[in-house]
Formats: sequence, C-alpha cells, structure tokens
Amino acid sequence: MAKKLFIVIVIAVLALSACAPMTPAPQAPAQQETTAQQPAAPAGGEVALRWRTRPDNQEEANVYKSISDELDKQLQGITLTYEPGGSETASYQDVLKTEIGAGTAPDVFWIPGTDVADFATRGLILNLADLAAKTPGFSVDAFYPGPMRALTHNPQTGAEGAGSGALWGLPRDVSTFVLYLNKDLLAEAGAEDPIELAKAGKWDWNAFLDVAKKVRALGSDIYGYGANAWWGPYGTWMNAAGGGFFNADRTACNLDSPQSLEGLKFQQDLYLVHKVAVPYGEDSEPPFRAGKVGMFQNGRWATPGIRTVTFNWDVVELPKGPAGTAGNWLFWGAYVVNAKTKHPEEAWKLVQALTTAEIQAKVSAMGTNIPSRVSKEAIDAFLTFTPPQNNQAFINGLQDNPVAEGPLWAGSWPDFVSVMDARVSALMTGQETIEQFAATICSEANKAFGK
Amino acid sequence: MTTATLPLRKPATAAWLAVLPIWHLVVALAAAATGVILLPRLSEGLLLVPVVGLLAVAGLSAAAVPYIRRRNHRGRVLSLAVNYLGFLACAVGLLHLMGAFTGIDDLARRFGRGLPFLLLAFLGYLVQAYADHFEYYPKRQRRVQEAGKGIILVGLALFFVAIVNWPGLPALALKLLQPAHLALLALAVLFAAMFWGMWRQPTAEAMHVNNARAETLSGLLFLSPNFLGFLLFFAGPLLLSLYTSFTNWDAFGTRDWVGLDNYARLLNLTVARLSSPTQLAAEVIDVKVYDELARFTLFGRSYVVGAEDKLFWISLRNTVVFCLIAVPLSVIPALFLSNILNSRLPGMKFFRAVYFIPSVAAVVGVSLIWQWMYNSAVGWINYGITVGINLLNGAFGLDIADPKIRWLSSADTALLAVAVMVAWQTMGFNTVLFLAGLQNIPTVLYEAATVDGADAAGRFRHITLPLLAPTTVFVVTTTLIQAFQVFEPIFIMTNPPGGPNNATLSMVLYLYQNGFQRFRQGYASAIAWVLFLAIFVVTLIQFRRQRGGVAYEA
Amino acid sequence: MTHTTEMVRQPVHRSHPLRKAIAYTAAYTALLLFGFVVIFPFLVMVFTSLKEPADTFSYPPRLLPREAVTVEVPGFDKPLPLYTVEVDGVQRQMALAVTTVRVGVFAPPDNLAATVTVPLDEVTPTRGADGQAMAVVDGQPQPLFDVSVNGGTVPMVRLSQTALGRFVDPENPQVTALANVRLSPPVTRITWHPENYRQVLELNGMGRALINTTLVTLMVVIGQLTTSVLGGYAFARLRFPGRDTLFLLYLGTIMIPFVVLIMPLYQLMVLIGWTDRLASLIIPWVFTAYGTFLMRQFFLTIPREIEEAALIDGSSRLQILTRIFIPAATPALATLATFTFLYAWNSFFWPLVIINTGNTDNHVLTLALNVLRGRAADSPNLVLAGAAISVLPPMVLFVLAQRFFIESATSSAVKG
Repeated sequence: MAKKLFIVIVIAVLALSACAPMTPAPQAPAQQETTAQQPAAPAGGEVALRWRTRPDNQEEANVYKSISDELDKQLQGITLTYEPGGSETASYQDVLKTEIGAGTAPDVFWIPGTDVADFATRGLILNLADLAAKTPGFSVDAFYPGPMRALTHNPQTGAEGAGSGALWGLPRDVSTFVLYLNKDLLAEAGAEDPIELAKAGKWDWNAFLDVAKKVRALGSDIYGYGANAWWGPYGTWMNAAGGGFFNADRTACNLDSPQSLEGLKFQQDLYLVHKVAVPYGEDSEPPFRAGKVGMFQNGRWATPGIRTVTFNWDVVELPKGPAGTAGNWLFWGAYVVNAKTKHPEEAWKLVQALTTAEIQAKVSAMGTNIPSRVSKEAIDAFLTFTPPQNNQAFINGLQDNPVAEGPLWAGSWPDFVSVMDARVSALMTGQETIEQFAATICSEANKAFGK
Repeated sequence: MTTATLPLRKPATAAWLAVLPIWHLVVALAAAATGVILLPRLSEGLLLVPVVGLLAVAGLSAAAVPYIRRRNHRGRVLSLAVNYLGFLACAVGLLHLMGAFTGIDDLARRFGRGLPFLLLAFLGYLVQAYADHFEYYPKRQRRVQEAGKGIILVGLALFFVAIVNWPGLPALALKLLQPAHLALLALAVLFAAMFWGMWRQPTAEAMHVNNARAETLSGLLFLSPNFLGFLLFFAGPLLLSLYTSFTNWDAFGTRDWVGLDNYARLLNLTVARLSSPTQLAAEVIDVKVYDELARFTLFGRSYVVGAEDKLFWISLRNTVVFCLIAVPLSVIPALFLSNILNSRLPGMKFFRAVYFIPSVAAVVGVSLIWQWMYNSAVGWINYGITVGINLLNGAFGLDIADPKIRWLSSADTALLAVAVMVAWQTMGFNTVLFLAGLQNIPTVLYEAATVDGADAAGRFRHITLPLLAPTTVFVVTTTLIQAFQVFEPIFIMTNPPGGPNNATLSMVLYLYQNGFQRFRQGYASAIAWVLFLAIFVVTLIQFRRQRGGVAYEA
Repeated sequence: MTHTTEMVRQPVHRSHPLRKAIAYTAAYTALLLFGFVVIFPFLVMVFTSLKEPADTFSYPPRLLPREAVTVEVPGFDKPLPLYTVEVDGVQRQMALAVTTVRVGVFAPPDNLAATVTVPLDEVTPTRGADGQAMAVVDGQPQPLFDVSVNGGTVPMVRLSQTALGRFVDPENPQVTALANVRLSPPVTRITWHPENYRQVLELNGMGRALINTTLVTLMVVIGQLTTSVLGGYAFARLRFPGRDTLFLLYLGTIMIPFVVLIMPLYQLMVLIGWTDRLASLIIPWVFTAYGTFLMRQFFLTIPREIEEAALIDGSSRLQILTRIFIPAATPALATLATFTFLYAWNSFFWPLVIINTGNTDNHVLTLALNVLRGRAADSPNLVLAGAAISVLPPMVLFVLAQRFFIESATSSAVKG
C-alpha cells in the first residue's frame, strides 16, 4: 500500500514538474504575451504593444517581423511583438473578431478598408483624431484621398476630411487591378499587344473582347480572360460602365441602375455568350500559371506568385469602359488601434511608424503592395520593382480615378456583399437572367441598410 | 441520541468523530463569511457561481454537524461531499496558481525531445504483439514478450526523464513556498485528511453504513470526475448558450433579452398566391421583410414562399440534401464491402486496413487533397473523365463531349463534390463497424438456412440484414449526426466558404458566419439550438424505427 | 456480394469450381477497385508534395514529379529547355532558343491554299513600306509582302499571324525549326524534391505543430479514457439515487452539436485564462458524455456474478474495476481510444477559434495547415506536403497497431 502511494506521489510530482513553466527567462514569448494582455508595468518601464497584420505568404511574414524588430529599437519606451495572423483564406478577420470579443486582440491591427465602418460604429477601434491633432507635422493629405475619406468619416456628423473630428487609422498600402498577360499566348493568337493599345489610347472593351476571343480560339482549354469570383472583379465592370454598388452617398443599393446592369451584362456575355472566360467561380490562377489564360485580372498581391511562371508575361491596365474610365478599385487596408488598448498614445505612435515612407518602401519592395503615401519618390521606387516590366499599369490605374474600396457607414457591408456575391454568381453562371437579377436584387440587398 | 451512546470500538474513531463536527462548523463559518464578503460584488456577474457555491458548501457543512453527532449516515455523506469538493477546489486551485495548466505550453517545448522515447515504447508494444506469432513455442513467446515489456518500460522512463523540466524544479519548489500556495496546500491536505477520516472503515461502521449506502457513495465518487468536468465544461456553457439565444448579444457589449425574437426571425415564413407563375414576388409579399425563397405550382395555382432569413432555409436545405447524398454513399458501399471482407479469403486484413486509412486522416488535410483533385482545369478527376470519354469515343466511335465539370465552382455540383469526399472518408470506418456486426452473427444460422434451401440473396435478406439491424442503426445514426454538422470540408474546399451562390452553405457554416463574422452571437446560438432540435428529431425517428433491435436502450 | 457470402458460408465441397473462380474474381475486383479509390488521393498527395511548384500545374496531370530537362547549347549563355518537336513529320528532341517568334501565314493572292509560314521580320512590304502594293482578296484590299520561297521572291498576302518558338538542334545549332511551343511536349525527367518537407516543417512551423498535436492528442486520450471508465462503471454497476435520470441527461447531450458550445466555452476559457493555451485544447475534452456512454454500454455486458464473487472476497470497487472490468473491456477501450484520437487529432474548429493565429508556438497541425494553405496558396506542393505531415503519422500508427485498434477494437463498438 505504502509502495503504491509512493509511486502515485512520484508520478504526480513528475507530471506536475513536467508541466512546470521553464525557468523564468526574461524574454520568453509566453511571458511577453501575458504582460501585453495585462500591461502591469513591464520591465524597465517599457510599454509592451502587440500588433498584427495579414501577410499573404511567408516572405511577407518575415518582412513584417523584421520591420517590427527595427521599430522596436527605434521607438523609445515601446516593446513590440508582431503576430502574423492568418492569411486571407486562414480566417484572419474571423479570428481577430473573436479575440476582440474576448478582449485578447492586439493593440494595433490591420483590417481591410471595407471593415472600418463596422469596427468603428461598434466602438471596437479608437478614434485617433485628438491624438493626431496634437501630433506636429501630421497631415491626412499625405495619403491617397480615397482611403482617407473613409478613415476620417465621422458617423455622427457625416463629415469627412482633415477637420471631421474622426480618424480611424492609417492605410498600410494600396493596390489596383491590372490584367496579367500571357504574352506568348497573345502572340500565338496573333492578337494585338494590349500594352501598345493602351499607350495608343485604344484599350477599351471592344479591343479587350477582340483579344480575348482570339486567344480563346486557340483551343478548348485555352481562355482569353480569367478573374476570381468576388466583388472586386465584377465591380470593375459596373464601375467602368458608370454604375457601382451604391448610390452617391452610399446609403442604398445601386445594382439595378442601367449603368450597373450594362457592366454586368458585358461581363455575363464574356462568360455565357462569347465564352471567353475561365468559368465563373473557378480559381483562375492555376490555369493562368499553367499557361492557359491570356489575361488574368488581379491585384499587385498576385505578382510574387506569377513571378515563378515560365512564359513571358507582363501587365496592362484594365480596358476603359463606356464611362471613359477603367472602373478600377483602389484597394486598401488600414492599421487601426484597439479600443481597449491600455496605451493609446504609444499605439498611435506605432501606427504612424508603420506607415512612414521608409517602412512602406520596405514592404512594397517585396512586390506585393504599392505605398499608400502620395509621393513621387514612392512611385518612382515602386516602378523599379520589376518584373513586371510595365509597372506603370498599376500607377495608371491609381491615376485613372479609381473607386476607393470603402466601408459602408449606413449599413452592413458583410450583409450587402453576401447577397450581392450570391446573386452575381447566379447571373454569371446562367442560373439567373439579367432581368430577373434587376427585378429583385435591390429589394434584397437594401436590407443591409439601416439595421 | 441513542446511537451516540453506543460504545466505540476504537479510540481513533472516537477522536475522528469528535474532530469532524468541529471541522465542519469551521468550514461552514469560513465559507459563509467568504460568500457574504463577496456578496456585494455580485453585480460583477461572473462571481455568481463561486458565491452560490460557497454558500451551498457552508449550508452542507453546517447541516453535516448534527447528523454526525447523531451518528446518522447522512452526516457521512454530507461530510464526505464537503471534504471531497473542498479538496478538489484547493488542489485544482493550487495547480492553477502554480501554472500547471498553462505550463502545458512549456511541456510542449520539451515534449519533442521525449517523442523518440515514446516511439521506442510503442516499438516495445509492437514487439510484444509480435510474440503472438510464437504461439506454439511458449518459451520463446515469453522471452519476446518480456523483451517487449522491457523496451516499453525503458522507453517510458527515458521519456519521463526527457520531458521533466529538471532545471525548473528548484523554482517550482520555491514557488510552492509562497504563502498563498502553502496555505492552499495545507487546506488541501486538511480536506483530504478529513475525507479519509470519515471514509475509513471503522468510522463508516460507526456511522451505520450499510451496503446500499456504501454503493451510493462509491457510485457518486466514481462518477464525480466525469460529472464535475461535464458540469463545468459542458452543461454550464450549454445553459449559457441557451440563454444567449434569447438575447441580441453581439460578442462585445450589448446583451439584451429579446425573448423569442431570434427564433421568430429564423423561422418566419410566408406564403402568397401569385396571379401568374412569373409574377414578381414584390407584388404579393412584403419584400422589406421577406425574401423570395421558392415558388411552386399546386393544382394550377402558383404560390411564392418568402422567408425573413432566406439563408437559414437555404442552409437547412443544403444540410438535408448533403445528408441524403453523403449518408447512403458512405453506408451502402460499407455494407457491401464488409460482406466481402467477412469472407475468409486471403488478404482481407490488408484490405480492411486500407479502407480504414481515410478515416484516420485529418479532415483539413484530406479536404486540401480533394480540392486539388477536383480542380476542373488540372485536376485528376476531370482528367480521368476526359481519358474515359476519349476511350469510349475511340472504342465505339461515339461523340460524347467532355463535360469538364466544374466540381467545386458550379452550384450544381459543389455540394455533391463535398458529399462524395465526406462519404469517401467515412466509408472505411463504417465498413469496419459493419464487419464487427457481421462477425457477431452466428455462422450456424447461415448453415441452417442453406440446408433449408435459401439462396445467397435470401440469406442476405433474411439473416444478414435483420441481424445487422442494430449495427445499421448505429452506423446510420452516427454518420447522420456527423453529416448534419458538416463544416470543415466546406470551409476548406469552397471559395468563398458556402459558395458558389450559397450552394454549399451548411447550417454550421451559417452559424459560424453569424456568430464569428457578423457579430451576432445571440442569433448564432438560436441557429445552434434549431440545429440541435433537428438532429434530435432525426435521431429519435431513427431509434423509434428500429426499436426492437437496438442495443443502446438505457 | 451475395456470391462471396455464399461461397464462404457454404461447405466447400458443394461449390462448383467455376462459380468459385467467378466469385473470387468478382470479390477481388470490387476490393481492388474500392482500394484504388481509397488510396489514390493519398498517392496524389505524396507525389505532389515531392514536386517543384511549376510541375504541379502541368496538364495532363502526372503522378511522378518531373522537371524540365535543359541542355547546354553552344552559342547560348543559358541552358535551353528541351522539347520534343515534330519537324517535317519526324519527332525529334530540340532545344528552345527563342520562345516567341512572330510569324505570319502567307499565300499568293491567286492561290490562297498554298500557304507558307514565315517570320514577320523576314518579309518586307512589296514595293516598300510607303507605297505598299495591294491585292484584292474576297473583295477586300489586302497589303502584299515579298516572301522568299525556295530562293525566289513571291508577293503574298498575310492570312493570319501567330507566334512560334525557334528550336535548335542541341548538337548542331545551325539546324533550326519553328514550332508551336505550347503544343510541343517538353522533355522531362523524374526529380524528387524532399526538401519541400524540410521547408514546411521548419519554415512554416509544422514541426512544432506536429509535436503539439501529439501531446494534445495523447493527453486527451488518456484523460478521456480515465474519466469515461470511472463514469461508465458508476452508471453501469453502482446504484445510487438519480442515476438513471442523470444517465438520460448524458445521453441527451451526446446529440448536441459542438458548435452550440463554442462561444460560451470560449468565454469560460477567457475567464480561466486559457485562451491561446494548449490547456484549452485538452482539459475540456477530457470529460465527455460519449465516452461514458460507450463504456457503460460495454460494462453492462460483463456478467454480474464475477463482480459479486469478487466483492464477497473483499475486493474494493476500485480493485474490481482495475482487475476485472478494465481487462475485459480492452476492445471497448481501444474503440474509445480510436474515436478520441481521431477527434483530438483532427479537430479544427475549436483550435481555430481559441488559439491565436499569431502564436505559432501553440499551433496544432490543422491550424498550421490552414495557415499554410493561405501563405503558400501558389505552391500546392508545399500545401500537400503539409497535408501529408498531418495525415501520415496517424495512418502509420494505425496500420502498425491495427491488431490493437481496428481488429479487437472496433468490433466492440457495435456490441456495446
């Protein structure tokens, strides 16, 4: 009996000591985390901040990590911990939201532009306007105006701009859409070079359709055009026709306006009448990289992956539509400050430090992003990050009056987009006609407003 | 008081019985005092459970005193309960404060070092198992067995040496010496001692314990680890979830009682008559509230069905359709294969192992593989179809067009594609379950039937199927319950999850979207409870239908 | 199926040899067919995980990892990729020197069927670029070009244009040929890329995740077996008031989908301070109604007499449990261990919610895989290498220990 008891006690002690924390190492990550969560005066009077942004690949994660280390040294009195978070498919936002709900979210985090309103109106992110007003030399005009309009929107007054009394964060970077071209395929099809057409000002919907048809004629498994199934690609066709998702003050659905429908109709024809496009809903990237797609619509973030292909490729801006523009988007996301942070001033310092020209240049050198600061230096530097040769196409997109990806202050963007995504998918796959779509889309989508 | 006057056989027991009432009085007072001190802070919400717990312990402890003095067996039950719970609370609290639970993270750091030794132990097990090959050489068998046992022991010992944090032990000891920790430790030891004092056989006899009472106590004691954990990690959260479903909780602040609003919105349907089958729904139903869900024609009249939450109904339909595809697809081949495997042909063990393989593979990993196989441009499945069609066309001079099915991106096939994958994954497990059921059917029955002239089909229908019924119920029910909760494969394989056009939106996925993407925890909880009811009803029907042969009756 | 059943059940002397042969063949064919369906996806996984990224997108898909062969050709700085090209009806291996040579298909205006394919830079406009001569074809004026054919120059119209690759003979670079690159199969050789695994294990944290998953699974299995055996024994053999009501409660909760609990459980973890901790993946899963139910069902089948005899001999309940019930219940324990193992190893939803995506130290395999599929979306070879790391270890374990886990084990699941 005593022997047994002894054995039990020994095992219990061993088990307990197996679980015992390591000998207290000052920089153990677990330790740091606890101090970040309950910031009770970390060692040396330093303020511990955690920040997070979404990398799309391992290289990006590494660059952000090195940026974090660099800023950690640079910023006096602040200790930084970088958390990569998931990637787009790895539920970055879902996890972030859960953590906000539980109060364990980092102090500073990145969110896509469309989410700003949802986070701001729920009081989850801090209004930085007062802190910004006290910061000498800070100006909202240093960044692209599209994102800044959304980031300075004051939900109480509806005011936007420098004096609105609201500042929700600063944009990390921006991107526009381009068409990635398989130049070998285009040449084989005997199509005209879109880059030359664009330079000559002849790159419009008709020219685009002509190229797409010629490429498609090369074989049953070769497509002229490919795009992935989300609001970005189908939105450009609507924008280019002079339509768009919302009315001018973004308070109601505009998907059934004649212009929006014209854009959708043109796109639907690409899929169902001319059949030049990779079927809607299929991921177009694998066939493009397998050399089976002539023109692939995507943002700057697709560049690193495409750099590995073996054929000749380049990029060109989107073709101009009936409204005279290409209807491009200005995609952006912003660093925002957790409303529950214990150190708002330090967090604001970090947000600024993360969006300086130097840091942005570092990030965009990887090739996935375009700096969000409006400056000639930034653009000139960006143009050198080749391939693709024609980096100018991205900048042309920026200067072609793009529609800024925007939050929905008057309604729920996730609700709106879930209705819209499903119905557009039905349209592009022929489950629904354009008339059926037009008849009911807005009565359904308008439920996303005024909740 | 008559019982108390009986002479006690041993002085130790008398001492225990003298100390215990005092102890319980102290415990009652201390618990009540702590509870009362915390009472004003009840508004902080989360303190409710510990306060109620403390007051309950105080009550129980106080109630135990007179019973013990009267040597009533109830006193023993109460005393044991209080001391047991007290011991658990102190011990777990101590472990928690000492960082034993969060320390698992650190253990993981060292665990990798120990893993090779654990594998060594596993190897030892394999050696031991190999001993069965020497069934006819007992001596050698024993030697191999002992060698295996030795390897296991050495492996485990090395494993422990490798994972224990030796340099951390002094720090651990120091930590234990902190006053709060020492106090808890002392309290735990006291509770344990008191428990033992009441538990020991002489005290039990003095407390007039009979067999039935002893059995009750043993039963509660045996059940307690499971039951307490079950209460804390299952029943408690369950009740909270039920409560949440009656609120509009958004996961951050607001948590207002809204009654049945969530359920009403979820289940709100309307039907209206249309003057023509193509009339716009907006003309007959209030599109500010309802979305058109479906339209149908009955006796020449057309109707439209509107739903306040269209997506919920779509997800319900998808889930049901998914079950209707996935369950038969996984159960019927399993039944078929198990009948072949039940024969005594050579190689059956091999095939059984092969079929079992997909069920041990991680769903996330398997989904990624199938996503790649389903790729319509470069995937193997479409390539297989293309090759097959070319063969057919070549062999018979046919002209079948290559369908180039867009498995995951077409609304027509996406759900089917996911269901096929899920069926593929669960089939092997079901096969093994069926096989087990088949092996329980006495061979005599088949022999008798053969003598009576039954043919193979007859034997299958009249012997195999009826006798396999309990297995079938079990297999179908578990597969169905799993299928009802499909989430991971859809989440991984479809883009956006639930797409295209909501064709793969399952109930759990919809719940996830509401709870974790749209800040609607209350609503998500309501969906969860509706899902639970759906599963409950389906399971009930299953069991009802097969009442006779069920082996799972309580 | 019926054939085989019959064949087995019948005494051998009664079956006809031919029928027996047919039954054998049918049985094995069916088994092999299903075996192929079961195994093939795993083969795809393993082979794809050993490919280089470019090879994963090739069509038609190939199982074995292949890599394009390149050759050194005199006069070219870089090695050139080798293709199988058809030249004048003969297949030969040539190196691709220029990927895109713009060519036109030309024909004399009076005989459009007599086409020649010539690079565009080898033709000149007839009578110069300024005053280019025209010819009328199908009522449309078309520009004429001077095309050299067999040494002579013929004015021709351009029917269409395309691009071809210029291939050279690796041995004799003077010999060139124009051919469509896309339709010419590249010459490949088999090359394995096991370094994919190293990359995934080290760079993407799958190694750590593997260790964490093993630890979590092990602890959940041990913990759950312990509590389930104790609880199951209490429900099966010990009478106490309220037992049956309590058991019904347990039974009812088996059907409750886990998602119902996820949010309140998350709150509880926040309260205890276990968010982002491995403890949250272990402790709550140690107490389940299902395991208790399974063990109870099995214990019910053990004859009461044995237990009563032991009681009379003075054994305690715990002794009875460890000496009689647990050895007898090995199959049921194995079953429960299998279920629990699979559940713990494969669980994804709960870790996704509870473990911080940033804290890769505490990631389990499913989570690491989910991150990997986003980060390496453009390298299916890496994603599938990750999948293999999460899929293969339990597979190997179960195949090795199948005697224990499948055989003796699962047979009890139904009996229970």
